Amino acid sequence: MKIVAVTACPTGIAHTYMAAARLEKIAKNLGHDIKVETQGAMGIENKLTESDIRQAQIAIFAIDIEIEGRERFNGVKVIQVPLQEALKNPEGIFVKIQH
Amino acid sequence: MSDRNHKPLELFFSCPLVSGLHARPASHLAEVANQFSSECSLKNLRNGVVANAKSVLGIISADIRHHDRCVLLVSGADERAAHKSLHAFVHETLPKCDVPLVDVATSSQSNSMPRALKAAGAVFISGVPISRGIGQGQVVVLRRMSLPEKAGSRKVATNPNHELDLIRNGLASVRHQILEKLKYSLTPVGSAVLQADLAIASDVLLLEKLTEQVLGGKSAGRAVVETAEYFIDLLGRSESKYIRQRSADIEEICMQLLEEVCDESPTQSVSLSEPSVLVAESLGPQQLLQLDRRWLKALVLEHSAGTSHAAILARSLGIPTLAAVRNARLLLTPGSEIVVDAHRGLLIPQLSAGIRRFYEREQRTLDLRKTAWSRDLRNAAETDRKRIEVAANASSGEESIAAFGNGADGIGLFRTEMIFLGRDGPPSEQEQFAIYSEVVRAAEGRPVIIRTFDIGGDKKVAYLNLTRDENPFLGYRGARIYADHRPVLQAQLRAILRASTEGGVRIMAPMITSREEIVEFKAAIAEAKRSLTRESVPFDSEIKIGVMLEVPALGFSLDQICPEVDFLSIGTNDLSQYFFAADRSNANVSSRFSVRHPAFLRFLEQISQQVRFHHKWLGVCGDMAANIQNLPLFLGLDLDEISIPGAEIHEFKRALSKLDADECRRVLERALACKHASEVDELLTARHGQMQESLVSDDLVVLGSTSRTKEEVIQEMVDAFYIADRTTDRHLLEEALWAREEVYSTGLGFGFATPHCKTDAVTSDAICVLRLNDPIHWDSVDGEPVRMVVLLALRDSESATTHMQVFSALARKLMNEEFRHHLLRAETAGAVTAYLRDELGAAIGKSNEAQAPEPSVQPQAP
Repeated sequence: MKIVAVTACPTGIAHTYMAAARLEKIAKNLGHDIKVETQGAMGIENKLTESDIRQAQIAIFAIDIEIEGRERFNGVKVIQVPLQEALKNPEGIFVKIQH
Repeated sequence: MSDRNHKPLELFFSCPLVSGLHARPASHLAEVANQFSSECSLKNLRNGVVANAKSVLGIISADIRHHDRCVLLVSGADERAAHKSLHAFVHETLPKCDVPLVDVATSSQSNSMPRALKAAGAVFISGVPISRGIGQGQVVVLRRMSLPEKAGSRKVATNPNHELDLIRNGLASVRHQILEKLKYSLTPVGSAVLQADLAIASDVLLLEKLTEQVLGGKSAGRAVVETAEYFIDLLGRSESKYIRQRSADIEEICMQLLEEVCDESPTQSVSLSEPSVLVAESLGPQQLLQLDRRWLKALVLEHSAGTSHAAILARSLGIPTLAAVRNARLLLTPGSEIVVDAHRGLLIPQLSAGIRRFYEREQRTLDLRKTAWSRDLRNAAETDRKRIEVAANASSGEESIAAFGNGADGIGLFRTEMIFLGRDGPPSEQEQFAIYSEVVRAAEGRPVIIRTFDIGGDKKVAYLNLTRDENPFLGYRGARIYADHRPVLQAQLRAILRASTEGGVRIMAPMITSREEIVEFKAAIAEAKRSLTRESVPFDSEIKIGVMLEVPALGFSLDQICPEVDFLSIGTNDLSQYFFAADRSNANVSSRFSVRHPAFLRFLEQISQQVRFHHKWLGVCGDMAANIQNLPLFLGLDLDEISIPGAEIHEFKRALSKLDADECRRVLERALACKHASEVDELLTARHGQMQESLVSDDLVVLGSTSRTKEEVIQEMVDAFYIADRTTDRHLLEEALWAREEVYSTGLGFGFATPHCKTDAVTSDAICVLRLNDPIHWDSVDGEPVRMVVLLALRDSESATTHMQVFSALARKLMNEEFRHHLLRAETAGAVTAYLRDELGAAIGKSNEAQAPEPSVQPQAP
């Protein structure tokens, strides 16, 4: 499956990146193709392009704060979870998107 | 008598002292009155109280407050002379008698209680810290003087003459003891306190009252008790807080007298035999001095007298003291163990195991910090290849003492204007002498540059009758007004010269524009020296004389100036304003004409070369000196000294230890070749970035932690920052970490937690690592206890994005099992930092390189 994701936490120092690393790893293990955009203290990194989003079957938002450019995802199926979920039970998120 | 109808001479005045006519001015007044045989009485026209003006106690008991109208009545053989002297005293000396004792008491900081202490269930009583530090010991309560029980068994005198002898001899002995202490008094403040005590012990009214009691049939001891009660009661009714506080001084004198006249020693002189916290309503300075310092761990006072004499002594002796602790004697149980935290303004009356742990750790932290501090200073001293003195700016004795405490090499600019401002007449020579002496003593031989008063223009001083200038900064100010105020200048120069016997003093003139002004200034110093020689008053005859270089004209006549002076100090604030004809406070022009403008730097370079050529000493002060980023410029300019705010000394010395003189010379050359101030800004910012401390260091790694709670862990890590001198405010750092922790726990699972924050309470971005012996609960996402804590602290205002890249890389790596295992297995702090450097090395290394751009300009051929 082709997946895009965005992670963002309150200070943007640690959890944004930990969650991104976690999602990438689990997705790879499950054989998905994922690209994770981080919105942290350094601003937006690994930015999702229009074509990334258009090609994705689903978008995962693991966020604690409002993100920039949410409108980019209009028309895409989005699953939004608290960022902690990506650390606590990342597998669960991927189970959820199968349905 | 023929002069039965003779009216006494009258002298009306209104009390000029804000604190009222308290002990010190009263002792001055009594001293003047006692020089004459005439009777002198003082009437307070507000309350009608008439007092004997020869008695300190009498004067004090007249309860004379600020602006009270009073009249002195003088009659007797030498009444005219007495009137004349009293007139001079009341109008000239009295207004200056009130050197305010600086009240350093800060507001209570009970809200700054550390989380670990709160979590340990600490109940606290707050107070005002008037002497910082932490002390722990058993409560010893000093009850209010209950003299009757201690007055001896003999309550009735059998032989009044014998009793009177006892009292007279007793008073003589008390006075003798005070005089002995005066000989060894270390500070002007301490001496003034003892002088006031001496005045009370010599007071005629005191003796009168004692005699009256004895003649009424009382024993000497009983007479002392009742006399003390009489005066304490009298002063206690005063509406002036300051005078009420003085009742402690009288109580103390009477206690001493009682010891002399009674066989038994009054029990109030407590003897300590184990670590103790003394709790008292208030304390006399001598009482404090007689306590056994080995066992006196802290003081708790009910009074809020930050300016009380005991408070001042407590500070000088370094005894942690909390004041304004209401009902302390009722609340605290004698014999119970308490902690006095006079850093945070807390008193902890009940010590649980957790609280004891907290303070044991706190003590260890403070000790380690102290050791690290002196080691840093030593290293700084050893590593400067080119020695540049880091001196402090100051304008009071207290500030100077604090600066030397921070490691200042001297006082580079002692501003004396403060002593002249906000008063009705110039300060006396004696008053100035006391202030300068205090600074010189604190310096212990290190240089102290005292700048003569720089008044005029925008600094208003009514008594100098300065005209209002159209353009104050270009007007009649600094040394330019000296010719019209010779007596004021002479008094100051004499005071400085007198203070110079203890070494290190240098005199500096402000706003010098030409050679003639220096010659005149030196002539004034010569005159002051001659007058002191005539009076056989000692001074340093070789005292160094220098000028502030703040008028550009001076910079273009250095060949003529240098032979006339021993040293120069560049005052960058005014020099740059005059150089660019641009007001520093005018935002429209100040940014374009900054002190970093290459034109100004070239001017400084020219000054430095000329002064070097003449082998004179050159320092710098002003805001430019106080900016740590400019340090390479000053080292490159080959200056002898920079003078900066005292609080910055430590940071500057540390930075200096990392700078190389040759490299700084190259930085300066590049700056001189720049075309705009902004290019110099870039250059210096980049250079400063290279000086930043590294993200990881061994002293930020704690292995084998025995902390038992999350609160303790965070406290321990904050303390590691403190010991490593990488935080300016432990409380702020702790709270920043907790603020993040409260959003949701940073326990990320796998036994790891990553507390983090963005705060300027850290001096530079840093990673701190702590490994626990026994895992603790951290509310982790997987519910597992935490063994390893990796803390990330980022500066809020100027964080390098490259550091953020390291942090994000680290955050990602923490998701990697092998990485975590390495951290869990590392055996030493060195192994942890080495591993982190290896793993994150590219990013850490890159951060330095990225901040040191290639020079955008090359030095031009001259």
